Amino acid sequence: MLHALSAEWRREWVQLRRYPTELLSELAVIVLVFYGLFLGGSYMAGGAILGGRLSDIIVGYALWTLSMMSVGTMGWTISNEAQNGTLEQVFLSPYGAALILLLRNMANVVIGLLFTILTLFSVMAITGHYLFISPWDIVPGLLMIASATGLGYLVASVTILMKRSQQLLNLLQFILLFLIMAPTASLGGPWRWLAIMAPFSPVVALLRSMMTQGAALLGTGNWLLWSVVNAVLWLLIGLLVFAWAQKKARRRGNLSHY
Amino acid sequence: MLLEVGGLVKRYKTKDRQIVEAVRGIRFTLSAGAILAFLGPNGAGKTTTIKMIAGLVRPDDGDVTVEGHSLSGRSGQALRHLGAVLEGSRNLYWRLTPLENFEYWGGIRGLSRKTARDRGRELMREFGLEDKIGSTVQQLSRGMQQQVAICAALIHSPSLLLLDEPTLGLDLDASDRIQDYVLRLAHERGVGILLTTHQMEVAQTLADRISIIQNGVLTLEGLKEDVLARFTGSSYVFELAEAPSAEARLLADDLGAAWTGECEFRAVLDRPTDVYEIMRALEPCAVVRVMRETADLATVFREHTRKPVPVENIREVTA
Repeated sequence: MLHALSAEWRREWVQLRRYPTELLSELAVIVLVFYGLFLGGSYMAGGAILGGRLSDIIVGYALWTLSMMSVGTMGWTISNEAQNGTLEQVFLSPYGAALILLLRNMANVVIGLLFTILTLFSVMAITGHYLFISPWDIVPGLLMIASATGLGYLVASVTILMKRSQQLLNLLQFILLFLIMAPTASLGGPWRWLAIMAPFSPVVALLRSMMTQGAALLGTGNWLLWSVVNAVLWLLIGLLVFAWAQKKARRRGNLSHY
Repeated sequence: MLLEVGGLVKRYKTKDRQIVEAVRGIRFTLSAGAILAFLGPNGAGKTTTIKMIAGLVRPDDGDVTVEGHSLSGRSGQALRHLGAVLEGSRNLYWRLTPLENFEYWGGIRGLSRKTARDRGRELMREFGLEDKIGSTVQQLSRGMQQQVAICAALIHSPSLLLLDEPTLGLDLDASDRIQDYVLRLAHERGVGILLTTHQMEVAQTLADRISIIQNGVLTLEGLKEDVLARFTGSSYVFELAEAPSAEARLLADDLGAAWTGECEFRAVLDRPTDVYEIMRALEPCAVVRVMRETADLATVFREHTRKPVPVENIREVTA
């Protein structure tokens, strides 16, 4: 499996290197977005409280983009491979398409993360504002990406059966944005289950209590536990639905001819 | 047995909610080192069968085993022994070089980068394409792309190779290279090859065995020689050293000679030993050549598929 992971990693890297204009424009967009966040954050928050609040914004934004990348990569991979005429070969891998998609997603997230870190350090050097980002922030980050991967499998399932998923992806982005922005953590009664079960909701609550209230990872009440449960649940749902969708697509015989 | 295809059935639902049986109980085997040409008219069920063998289409009934591993059970094990070049697909990333493609396709089949590179170089050398290893696939000619696709399908040294229309749209040189390679692959290295093609001359050159599918039913199966012999008429061409006398010519006419020249005629004989009777009738004129006309695969295919599929093999199924 390590060979498959390194093959995915190399493929992504080679394609990035082969077309430097695409790479540079992608980097320029990330730099501009982060530079804008720094300047906007400085303007709104003021110099004195800049450090803590700005790091929240930037970590939140980075996690959001990485998660959206995870959600979109799998569906995009299916339709792109089908258009390239390579989808059948991916499905001929003895590891199975679900694992290949997961590995490709991991390669994408790692490359995205590297870009983000590099950009962040560059922008910090340019602006002279240095952020403190706790290494514990990585835990909610990983949980968020796990949930996003589950959602990615759901999008891939729709793509494999319906052949197009771009509009669904657009819609999903709005729904997820709503779930992240809405204060679901403060909901009570039966609505509390929404805060626990809806994708990203508990991990956002966890991040909020860590960043805005300065809580330690283990001192966030049950939010860490619910975040883990939520991430595992969505990953499992995604995997099960994708396995069903593959079976259905094979039965219908529409694994190609997109 | 390398490949065992056991009673495959595939039904599709049409838009008007009728169920059509695309493949009806196909059953055959393929041993190591053999080339089976799987032929049939358009829409006969060839591609569906190939895709079921590759695990891309799920059969409604029956199973496929590769090297003893069932595709419906241990599909990962079965797929380790299988490579495929499918028609209508590029089978390669065009923005990558052949070597980068080999690294990728080898990697997702469990090969290390070094093994995939070494094997890829070796395969490209065998096709005489070693100088193209650093060009992107989109820069290569159609024939070269197809050869690279075959190399990629062989990167993990599978024991079974599925080739769906491997020479379609290729020039003679590329087609010859692929055919030479496929022959060597099967007969020297023991790879079993399942080939589908509409190019009968390609099938005749490559195949050891012939299968013909019509309306989802396997209607002909056998060794190439047997299949060709079954359709070979009892027509013989006689070539004479000189024009025979009028009397000898009349005798030959009585035995069924149809003259195509002063010194050449064709005769349809009931028994091969009738050749001697004609030679005696022509004496003293010498017969310098007797040739039995053999059917080619295109003739066999045309003759065979002209006949309707036996009624007992056709079942109408309605949803």
